[in-house]
Amino acid sequence: MNFDLSKKTLREVNSYLQNIDLKSNQRDFVIKNPLGNHALCAGLQDEIKVTIKGHVGYYCAGMNKKAEVTIEGNVGTGVAENMMSGLVHVKGNASQSAGATGQGGTLVIDGDASSRCGISMKGINIIVKGSVGHMSAFMAQSGNLVILGDADEYLGDSIYEAKIYCLGKVKSLGADCIEKEMNDKEIKHLSALLEAQNIKADPKKFKRYGSARSLYNFKIDNVSSY
Amino acid sequence: MSEIKKNLKGFSTFPHDTIAEIQRSAREGIYQIRGLGAKRKVPNFDDLVFLGASASRYPLEGYREKCNTSVVIGDRFAKKPITLDIPITIAGMSFGALGANAKDALGRGASAMGTSTTTGDGGMTPEERKSSKYLVYQLLPSRYGMNPDDLRKADAIEVVVGQGAKPGGGGMLLGQKINKRVAQMRNLPEGIDQRSACRHPDWTGPDDLEIKIQELREITNWEKPIYVKVGAARAYYDTALAVKAGADVVVLDGMQGGTAATQDVFIEHVGIPTLGALREAVDSLKELNMHRKVQLIVSGGIRSGADVAKAIAMGADAVSIGSAAMIALNCNADMYPEDYEKLGTAAGYCHHCHTGRCPVGVATQDPELEKRLEPDLAGKRVKNYLATLTLELQTLARANGKSDVRNLEPEDLAALTVEAAAMARVPLAGTTWIPGYDK
Amino acid sequence: MKHLLNQKKTIPILKNIQDIDLVGYGKSIEIFKQVGNPKDVVKKFSLDKFSGSHAIGHTRMATESAITTDGSHPYSTGEDECLVHNGSLSNHNNLRRSLIKDGIEFKSQNDTEVAAGYISNSLKNKTSLKETLTNGLKDLDGFYTFITGTQKGFAVLRDEIACKPAVIAETKDYVAIASEFQAMAHLPDVNKADIYEPKPGIVYSWGS
Repeated sequence: MNFDLSKKTLREVNSYLQNIDLKSNQRDFVIKNPLGNHALCAGLQDEIKVTIKGHVGYYCAGMNKKAEVTIEGNVGTGVAENMMSGLVHVKGNASQSAGATGQGGTLVIDGDASSRCGISMKGINIIVKGSVGHMSAFMAQSGNLVILGDADEYLGDSIYEAKIYCLGKVKSLGADCIEKEMNDKEIKHLSALLEAQNIKADPKKFKRYGSARSLYNFKIDNVSSY
Repeated sequence: MSEIKKNLKGFSTFPHDTIAEIQRSAREGIYQIRGLGAKRKVPNFDDLVFLGASASRYPLEGYREKCNTSVVIGDRFAKKPITLDIPITIAGMSFGALGANAKDALGRGASAMGTSTTTGDGGMTPEERKSSKYLVYQLLPSRYGMNPDDLRKADAIEVVVGQGAKPGGGGMLLGQKINKRVAQMRNLPEGIDQRSACRHPDWTGPDDLEIKIQELREITNWEKPIYVKVGAARAYYDTALAVKAGADVVVLDGMQGGTAATQDVFIEHVGIPTLGALREAVDSLKELNMHRKVQLIVSGGIRSGADVAKAIAMGADAVSIGSAAMIALNCNADMYPEDYEKLGTAAGYCHHCHTGRCPVGVATQDPELEKRLEPDLAGKRVKNYLATLTLELQTLARANGKSDVRNLEPEDLAALTVEAAAMARVPLAGTTWIPGYDK
Repeated sequence: MKHLLNQKKTIPILKNIQDIDLVGYGKSIEIFKQVGNPKDVVKKFSLDKFSGSHAIGHTRMATESAITTDGSHPYSTGEDECLVHNGSLSNHNNLRRSLIKDGIEFKSQNDTEVAAGYISNSLKNKTSLKETLTNGLKDLDGFYTFITGTQKGFAVLRDEIACKPAVIAETKDYVAIASEFQAMAHLPDVNKADIYEPKPGIVYSWGS
């Protein structure tokens, strides 16, 4: 089923997709002329497939649940923010705060992600085939951020228990973020994440980063970190 | 020794509590973290009085002659605004900061009086949704427990920019209160000291807030009123920006507002008193021609029906209570003296929410302490307190000739101090003088 | 009102006329500003009939000062210079006071006007635009994406925290920058453009 945002309103399209009649067998949707609209496909909650042909604005697929959303273009700030489950696939580049506070599901970005990718992530898996901007995985609590390209400054600042795997160069690590061991268990774990998205990359070549856990409880000796 | 003490002169700049605090800092090497709100005296509603009835203004009879208290909240854009029976709501306090019994009791009490409660920096609990007739769901920088199902279950959504106790500070919950359930809801390891972010992760500034509010409306089918909560900083501009960003309601929390845990310096030295901030916010709404179209809910040191009446007279649509609601639950009640002593404090002085050892079972996750707060009885206390506030509000409104509390106006007030006159823009009692105001 | 006269000759004349405001001056930059809906402003100044090598547009959301034409961007920072800003500065009041001592005049309470004054003050002292903006990273506190217009092109700078958005699209024919992609979505061949976001704390410039 097709939608054309140059003819229908954002509200009409979102409302339809958020309230799918599961008895009908419509599961595949295409949206043409997204025209950089904000909050397009936000709040989806069924196992449907949506393809957006073009570039979108902020919060595309925000709080996505169960749906599979593919954007054939670039996305603005906060794509798949607070996603609960499902898959969001950005074929172009992503702007800031991609996958912010995501609680589950998978976000794949074929191009580059900008700054604060995976900020405060809470269980989402984010895979970026390009590079990520500064402050990525800031305060990341859980989930996995896999980067095939490079990472800019302050990667994983104030990170909790999320895992970062990076194939390329990391400009600098943030507070309390350190390089961690890539043992067999980790290689297997990363391998599964890559295979699930059909990504051909050698997990053994990645480095892993995570929390040093020294900021978990207030200690005056850490005053320079505060 | 007491003979000598009678003739000794203390230091105004270094009184006993300041001496104790400096020496504590020297021992521990870290700032003091505590709960509740500003302890020091600031200009507040006590410095205003109502004029009442006179030869020119006639009062209404109590009971017989109606005095309406209900208010509609959120009818600017939302499809389903909320009608509150009383203009007093329960402010945001997290599950985590408070125990489950406390949240349950607040829900019961508020629902019995036809008003709302608010979630906090920990997400929505099923108990809270069940016991609250109207539940406002907060969207905070941390986004702990945030999910679209709860957004849809809520009756309103409150985007938190800041709170009065710490405008510019993020949430804080120390490890001793991060038990298994709290940890799971917040997606954190048990027992760590939680530091929340102070800015939202996916928007900064009112131009982006406008887009965020649009997203929240899209996810909830434009049904729910969207509130924007700010701590009292630049209330005039913050109110205008909330309106421009598309909010239905502005929630303004003055410096007296409480918190479960933050640095003492933040609580005492950042933010302006509710009295001054309220004046600014109402001015802003009036200039935008949005007064009463975008509702204003005010919190931070609301204690009695007199405070409620004065806030409404100054232009608020409703008030919110946090610390006072906790006190109705038993916060600082004169019971379990040994447990207060174990914390190094006493009933009436306690601000130890951050320890998780609340002697009366309100701000704790400890199951033994929680037993001291029975939700049904505590819920009745909250209901009684809200009912008393409402009766007091109506009494004062009637005395000023109002059949609806929303008809209270600034001209019904006089100020007892120069500061209050200037801040509230109300004449000093017995004069026509408003300091700094040229008509 | 706009003027394109020589500054030295114009200022003494304007000091004696109340109703005219000088918003900019130079050989190639013209500044148009007005309060109102962008569509109406474009119509009023017939901007769709213009052609040139470069242009900057800005819609302001007033944060801590009034909504007036004086409060709008761009601010002229000197001959053939102008500045637009997305964000909020935090030390502009102190900076305004010290710039006033250096002889810079301000018409509004707007924080951006202070940044513009800072830039023109520095350029007046023969510092390059790039060095001025780089010094600005230390001297201007707060959140910002700045775009400065120059006689031959423009420059972009984001503060080191870079919370305010910016995106650039470059083709062999043009370079465009906007706060969000939506503003550029209609440009010719934008789908084939190299689209990237400027990194924090780095001055990007074209044509200057």
